[in-house]
Amino acid sequence: MDMTAPLLADMDFQPLSTAFAQNPYPAYAALRARGEPVYFADFDIWLVTRFDDVAAIARDNAMVRSAEFFMSPEEIEEQQRAQNWHDMPHHSRFVQFSMLDSDGAVHDRLRKQVFREFTPAFIARQRGMIQDFVDRLVDGLIDRGEIDFVEDLAAHVPGHIIGRVLGVPDEDCPQLRVWSENVVRFFDIDRSDARKAAAERATTEFYQYLLKLMAARRAAPEDDMITRLMVAQDAGHLNEDELVSTCMLILMAGHGSTIDVLGSGMHALLRYPDQMQRLRQEPGVIQTAIQEMFRFESPLPFFHRYATADCRIGGRSFARGTKFGLLYGAANRDPDAFGPDADTFNIARNPNRHLAFGGGAHFCLGNHLARLDMEVIFTTLLKRMETISLAEAEPQYKTGLSVRGPRALKIAFKPA
Amino acid sequence: MLKISFIGNDGSTIEASVEDGQSVMSAAVSNGVDAIAAECGGACACGTCHCYIDEDWLDRLSPPDDFEEAMLECVSNPTPQSRLSCQVKMSAALDGLVVRLPPSQY
Repeated sequence: MDMTAPLLADMDFQPLSTAFAQNPYPAYAALRARGEPVYFADFDIWLVTRFDDVAAIARDNAMVRSAEFFMSPEEIEEQQRAQNWHDMPHHSRFVQFSMLDSDGAVHDRLRKQVFREFTPAFIARQRGMIQDFVDRLVDGLIDRGEIDFVEDLAAHVPGHIIGRVLGVPDEDCPQLRVWSENVVRFFDIDRSDARKAAAERATTEFYQYLLKLMAARRAAPEDDMITRLMVAQDAGHLNEDELVSTCMLILMAGHGSTIDVLGSGMHALLRYPDQMQRLRQEPGVIQTAIQEMFRFESPLPFFHRYATADCRIGGRSFARGTKFGLLYGAANRDPDAFGPDADTFNIARNPNRHLAFGGGAHFCLGNHLARLDMEVIFTTLLKRMETISLAEAEPQYKTGLSVRGPRALKIAFKPA
Repeated sequence: MLKISFIGNDGSTIEASVEDGQSVMSAAVSNGVDAIAAECGGACACGTCHCYIDEDWLDRLSPPDDFEEAMLECVSNPTPQSRLSCQVKMSAALDGLVVRLPPSQY
């Protein structure tokens, strides 16, 4: 390692602290001010925070997600063990392998099987279903006067919607959320054996559920994603394990993150009442407002890439095999990209070329679905609630680098 | 430097200077052509850099590969002139290219 590497020793960088969770942006600004990637020894990773550098790496095909390029099968197994990801037969087949953690030809082949399901035009067909579900949810709580926006409303939506998009019947959708959460929880730093068992069990149960659903569709095909994926499988474009893994990824990838950005988006509107007011007066600005919510509090602020070739970033040379940590949350507040008001929540910001959905081949497949969920929820709430206000002093945000969203968000409201 | 004319849905025109080898998408983004959203940054992964190549120029472009073709099936407001601008690279043969912009990327 280059011993002149800028380290974090002279910076109080504590990404697991509650202070960072409450407001990571001063730390991000300090990192950006270094002007070049900074080595973070705890994770053996180079943190990249300037918009131009993050965008360049995200969009570069020579920067990959999978470590297979550098590691022998033995090394990969050793790493798996070190992460307590070993001895998980279903988790390794359906979670540890996925389109997200593939690159090149394998990734492209898998993405090609599903991308049509997530285009704006295709997703727009779901608007009625999403609206019906949100209406029913709001009907059930509109007279309460005060709710936890995260737990009582936001948390119910993405799992249900993505389930319906996959082809899961209404009544089975709540179970999807439980499985998804049990798997996602195990990505966290706390790799306890209890969580490990829960993640493996959830993966196994989801697998068995999918097999039953696929058998039902084999007997009676429907106009849903599961059926279309089975057609692709029959045509030899993907095998059964890849099909299951893809369904699992689709379920998990946009689940917690959408809940998080719903919460932080609502919190931003409450912190900036002039923006809330503007949205009420100009409902047509909703799509731009949603984009600004993603930029302002990016729900998945951290993704890695490995360099498959020597490269130069921010004026510094890096060797093949270097692991970079792309801090999208930092890049999305870079004044060089967004102007001096980068730290201001402005629902009319347009264009808004943020990196909350990443970039390059792994650009978020589900972004239009997430945006439609958000649009329906915020439009409906502003219509049905004459006033909304924050009912707690300081919402607590989740800790860590990989997620950003409030744990809860108590709001008080008056029905329209 | 090579030239591209971007003609908006409202008839307004932006004249852009581009480097040999630069993509039409990248020229659009650096020249304030907001109608090209280009969300994925040029990886043929989002379909929001959709444009219409002027009929006089269409045949001078290399045809789309199968990934771009697949993505083009799903763009908003498709026409026979539709291309993903991130997949069209400028060269001397395309100097003066005329590109029209769709009413929306969504």
